[in-house]
Amino acid sequence: MRKEYWAVGLAALALLILAVGWDREEPATRVDLSRRVDITLKTQTEAITYAYLPQYSHSISFERHRLLVEYLSRVTGYPFRQVFPDTFDEHVKMVERGEIDISFSNPFIYIRLARAGARAFARIVEESGRPDFYSQIICRKDNRAIHTLEDCRGKRWIAVDPSSAGGFVFALDYFQSHGIKRGDFTEIAFAPGPGGKQEKVVLAVYAGKYDIGSVRNGTLELVKNKVDLDAIRVLAESRPYPGWVYAVRRGFDPNKLEAIREAMLRLDAGGPEAAAILEAAHFKGIIPATDADYDPIRSLAGRISQE
Amino acid sequence: MHALQRLKFSTKINLGTTGIVLFLSLVMGAPVARVASQALVDEVKMRGRVLAESLSVRSADPVLAQDFLRLKNLVDDLRGVSGDIEYAFILDKAGGVLAHSYPKGFPVDLITANAPGPGGALSVRLLDSGDERIYDFAVPVRVAGESFGTARVGLSWSRARAPVERLGGIILGLAGGGLFVSVVLSTIFARQVTRRLNVLRTHAAEMVTGNLDMQAGGELARNCWDIMDCDRKECPAYGDKRRRCWYVAGTLCLECDGGPFPQKLESCRECPVYLTNAGDEIQDLTETFDAMAMTLKTHIAELREAEKVLTRQQQIMRTILDVTPDLVSLLDEHLVYQACNRAFAASVSREVDEVVGKTDADLFPAELAAGRTEANRRVLVTGERFQTETRREAGHGERWFHTVQVPVFDRDGRIVGVLRTARDVTQIKDYQDQLIQAQKMESLGKLAGGVAHEINTPLGIILGYAQLLQEDVPEGQVREDLGTIERQAKVCRKIVADLLGFSRQSRSAKRDMCLNNSVMETVTLVRHSFELDRVRIVTDLDERMPVLYGDPDKLRQVWMNLLTNARDAMPGGGMVFVRTRLDTGAQKVTVWVADTGSGIEPAILGRIFDPFFSTKPVGKGTGLGLAVSFGIIKEHGGDISAHSPAPADFGLPRGEAAGEQGAGSVFEVALPLDHGERDDEAAPEDGGAAKKE
Repeated sequence: MRKEYWAVGLAALALLILAVGWDREEPATRVDLSRRVDITLKTQTEAITYAYLPQYSHSISFERHRLLVEYLSRVTGYPFRQVFPDTFDEHVKMVERGEIDISFSNPFIYIRLARAGARAFARIVEESGRPDFYSQIICRKDNRAIHTLEDCRGKRWIAVDPSSAGGFVFALDYFQSHGIKRGDFTEIAFAPGPGGKQEKVVLAVYAGKYDIGSVRNGTLELVKNKVDLDAIRVLAESRPYPGWVYAVRRGFDPNKLEAIREAMLRLDAGGPEAAAILEAAHFKGIIPATDADYDPIRSLAGRISQE
Repeated sequence: MHALQRLKFSTKINLGTTGIVLFLSLVMGAPVARVASQALVDEVKMRGRVLAESLSVRSADPVLAQDFLRLKNLVDDLRGVSGDIEYAFILDKAGGVLAHSYPKGFPVDLITANAPGPGGALSVRLLDSGDERIYDFAVPVRVAGESFGTARVGLSWSRARAPVERLGGIILGLAGGGLFVSVVLSTIFARQVTRRLNVLRTHAAEMVTGNLDMQAGGELARNCWDIMDCDRKECPAYGDKRRRCWYVAGTLCLECDGGPFPQKLESCRECPVYLTNAGDEIQDLTETFDAMAMTLKTHIAELREAEKVLTRQQQIMRTILDVTPDLVSLLDEHLVYQACNRAFAASVSREVDEVVGKTDADLFPAELAAGRTEANRRVLVTGERFQTETRREAGHGERWFHTVQVPVFDRDGRIVGVLRTARDVTQIKDYQDQLIQAQKMESLGKLAGGVAHEINTPLGIILGYAQLLQEDVPEGQVREDLGTIERQAKVCRKIVADLLGFSRQSRSAKRDMCLNNSVMETVTLVRHSFELDRVRIVTDLDERMPVLYGDPDKLRQVWMNLLTNARDAMPGGGMVFVRTRLDTGAQKVTVWVADTGSGIEPAILGRIFDPFFSTKPVGKGTGLGLAVSFGIIKEHGGDISAHSPAPADFGLPRGEAAGEQGAGSVFEVALPLDHGERDDEAAPEDGGAAKKE
């Protein structure tokens, strides 16, 4: 073969290897990792702290109440900041410690807060249109062992939290009113971990891990995208109790409270902004409330505690 | 490239295989490595994205809750998931670090090194810390569509690419292993191939050295006569174990074409013998080689036989050409000598090989060369045969040549050269001259004889009357005049006798005689008168001289002539040396008569025996003496010759010749002891003698 052919062949091979096989260098940004500092967080600005009892995840809590908090801040002229306690107990303790100025909690927690000096000033109208709510006892529709409330004896029960009104206390009271006591159940478990506990109860029953579950009304609608609701049967429902309540900690500035209360109650009057805020918060409205509105809860708590 | 060509064939196969495997390894390995590398990069990016987004999602609640412990746990847990996760940290909305995975201090440069893209899109950026390269992933921490900060994860590219490097190592190892295996296999293969090729090469080398009896292909277990169950022993393939039948011409198998290889091969394709015995290409090549060697051997044998015949014919032709005295030469159409015989080469004082390639201009003087070239060209142009007689000066004399020029034609009838032969006809020319001279002499002799015969009678009468008148007249003037008439008449009678002798009018009277006596009688007769002319005669006669059969008178006449000529050659005096010798072996006697005279001119040396040739002034000689002597000696079956000057080894008596004039000349007369005429001619001669008496 002539030398020219060899040269052309080798050049083509070299080009092929270069074109196909060469690992081209990717451009890189130069950083100096040796220059290090200790991190200190800036102190947060003074603001009215607003907390939503963590029945859902912080994200959902934030998402639901973001517009309301922004509205209050804008209307009242006071800076607001949402805070996110992880548990009901922490929520209560934070109110007690004065770390939460405005608390939005269920009525059962409220009576604990009230004992710490907090006072109710507004309550919400549920999406059902009623200012109260109740507990639902659910089981799997295909659970042949459970047909009546009586069948719940000797079964495993999962509830939201020992402090959850709609998720446990209402149901427990309902069972007791029907002669079924705590000891009649093989097991009473509570939804694990922070947030989202209502949903966890539905999922646990749906999964068959527990025979019955107790959730507040409206929860099933929440999980309709995660659970086939046709597989779930509502076994019983408790009597309704006053709904979720806005309370202010002890010692909060009454002027600020009045401004806040007024702003909140104004939402109930309607309007597009109010509708958007209430829709995000899953309310129908906000109405005035007094501490006396929650006496039925207190009596319920008394019955429970006597048990 | 030259070095590559010199490599062994097996090495070339190994190199080729290695090159192919290397080429394929490069062509396939490089893209695989590239694709793998790219896949790893994509995987790293995908993984980083997942990790960063996961961190972002999981950190949303802790960020909202300002739960630094959970954030710290999140980033630490993430950092501990895999060794290639270089760092993880979370920034708040203002860019403050909420939590990070570094145990001591935080590299502040990282904060601004990367940020989510527009609309909160994932941003991937390659960072170079100097020690290593890190893929940084930035994802916003979003809650309800609002960004609360940024989750950042760093994946070490250097550690992440370790699998790629392992993959590269595996590919390299596989390529190396494949290369090793291919080299081993190719070596085995190359040895298998080259072993058979080497047999062929050895065979070829043996062929070059002349050994055509080697057999590269091995003998087969089954031959055609076995396979075909054939017993036709007259078939040329039958019993031939060296060649497969398809190499043998003229086979008698019915399916065979019968023609020579390879034409007949077409008819063999379906033959059971071919299907059984045909091998691969190298086997075919080997057997073709063997067949070629055998064919070559046959051809060489035929060529050698032809060469022998040709050589023999060439030798014969060369011998014929060389032994012929004719000058033979062959010229091509450009008149360049292509061949000549030895005589021609000698004529131009060259060797035969030196003449070939030369032209006439190289071999002959310009004038002669021009003439020859012209003559040769005329033959080339006309195509006709020419013959001429030419004369050339050579040495002391001239030579005559009869030249024939013949055109040489090729197969197409085209003139391609000239064949030229030249025969030396000088001797024939001499014979022609001598014949003419002899005819002239014969006519002249007859004329002279007739005249002499006619004159002899009145001359006898004049002599007789003169003698008678002398007796009748008293002494006195008249008697003296008559005496003068008588003497002159005797002189005339002597002349007439010579003429009669020349014209063979006189008869020989041969008898037994003594040569020495004949010589001495003449010497004695003239010695005194010679001495008066200051000429001495010295003799040196062989005493062993036997009896010779001859005519004493005529021989004396010869001696007399020779002695007289010797004296005449020495007008100032000198010496005449006479020597006789018997040569028993040659059965001859030789007489030398030498003088110390002026010698004979070379130009006339060849003519002195001609009749009437004389150097003497008019009235001093007739020019018949030597001619008569020549005739007498020839009549005795002898030979007479002259040498001048006398040969150096002739042996003139030392001291005698010293001071004498001239180089002289020697006449040599050789007479046979028995010239064969005695028995045949004795009777008539005796009769003649008797008749004379």
